[in-house]
Amino acid sequence: MAVTHDEVGQAKAIAPFKFNLKPMIMGMIVLAIIFGGARWYQQWAAWDYGLDATDPMFDKYWMTFFWAEIVIEISLFFTFVGYMWLTRDKHLNNVKPREELRRLMLWVSMLVVYAFAFYFAGSFYAEQDATWHQTVVRDTSFTPSHIMLFYMSMPVFIIIGFTLFFYAITRLPFFARKISIALVLVVCGPFMLLPTVGYNEWGHAFWLMEEYFTVPLHWGFVFFGWTIIALSGVLIQVMKYMVELLPKVLNEKGELTS
Amino acid sequence: MKLTTNEATLLSAVTTPNSEAARIARGLDMFVVAILFFAIIAAFHIHIMLTVGDWDFWVDWKDRMYWVTATPMLLIFIPAALSYPFMMRFGLPIAGTLCAFCLVLGEWISRIVGFHLWTYFPYSMIWPAIVLPGLMLMDLVLLLSRNLFITSIFGGSAVAFAFAPANWPILAPYHEPVVHMGQLVNVADMIGYSFTRTATPEYLRFIERGTLRTFGGESTLISTGFSGFVCMILFFVWWKIGEWLTNLGTIPNVMKKHVGLGDDDDEK
Repeated sequence: MAVTHDEVGQAKAIAPFKFNLKPMIMGMIVLAIIFGGARWYQQWAAWDYGLDATDPMFDKYWMTFFWAEIVIEISLFFTFVGYMWLTRDKHLNNVKPREELRRLMLWVSMLVVYAFAFYFAGSFYAEQDATWHQTVVRDTSFTPSHIMLFYMSMPVFIIIGFTLFFYAITRLPFFARKISIALVLVVCGPFMLLPTVGYNEWGHAFWLMEEYFTVPLHWGFVFFGWTIIALSGVLIQVMKYMVELLPKVLNEKGELTS
Repeated sequence: MKLTTNEATLLSAVTTPNSEAARIARGLDMFVVAILFFAIIAAFHIHIMLTVGDWDFWVDWKDRMYWVTATPMLLIFIPAALSYPFMMRFGLPIAGTLCAFCLVLGEWISRIVGFHLWTYFPYSMIWPAIVLPGLMLMDLVLLLSRNLFITSIFGGSAVAFAFAPANWPILAPYHEPVVHMGQLVNVADMIGYSFTRTATPEYLRFIERGTLRTFGGESTLISTGFSGFVCMILFFVWWKIGEWLTNLGTIPNVMKKHVGLGDDDDEK
């Protein structure tokens, strides 16, 4: 079959699809450094300066760390979420399928970073808290374990979660047309772990409870942890939408058409 | 089942070897696998640590009453919920096995890095329970039957029935009797006495009460039987919860006019 000059030119213009993995890899490296560094700091400073909240050294090595976390996290939250909103695409009705595919893939890749951050909060630092409580009696709400778990790991995944939510509703037409309830649960459910921290600390302070981990006071964390199951709903929504989106940029031979 | 035009196009595209479509689909698959891997570790581990908790942390809490009864019941929540999307949407009866693998991985990382390297508890005291056999059996029943009711009855109960036997080989040496200061205890108790936990309740009050032992001395069997019965119900309930969470719909976006979308864009 003859190939015209125009067809050759058109075929050359369609660049192969590239996954933009840089943000995901950078995100995971940054998180690994933050969480790994925090764990190193615990090993170094917990036994020497973290046993007594009335010790001036506790103030120096732990409460300074705590206040730094709070300031940085609040700043980052408003910076990231504000950036997503202020730089939003104001013409989502005109987004081409190829561009939508690029954005959707980038967003899904960043969900990996969100899940990675949730691992540190839900697994690594959470269970570690049990062993510290069983070794050193809690004297205030601020312990070397809590300062890394409640005031660092949880805010980190909350910041990432809200940033991704705002990315979705400001750059992805699929999530902007209607709000996905599953996505709201995936972001807001784990966010509710933070208010549960307040109730948890109030309960421990008020009732001076024993520290076994299954106390009903802790079940709020479990309940809101369950909402991450809705992540399967988000992924299935994405995959169902892919069935609509991909045929707009691919032909049946699997070649890109735009 | 008849495919839509879009589905037929996509199926043809992604099954073409070395095509762009196949590469994009494979890339998406890899993202999904990574997301599920980390999310399942986190979700299942936080659930288990705060519901089974100390019964899983410490060897002297691994008793014949609460540990054997409660662990399988609480173990089945997340795998049953995830069995729905895995089986019904991806055709993969692997939720139980995947959850078990992720949980044990998360637990071992925590026990090594937190319990052992930070607070110096010995591994003999802090090993997590073995949960893989029961959850694999649950998957097997789902694979063979492809039926919710059959899996609830036989797969759900398998989680409980396999739990004590799977753990017995590693737990048995800790139940050897020891006389300590004139009291008969076991090796697990001795380890517990040696490594003081400053904030647990005193041992006997919570770990084991005597009444169950009056049932012919078959505490483990009775606990397992009851747990198995509850697991049957819980598998069904949590499958339905998984179905509900997977099929959540949408709500109107009142802010969409700020991104250039109008009411007529809903159906696009």
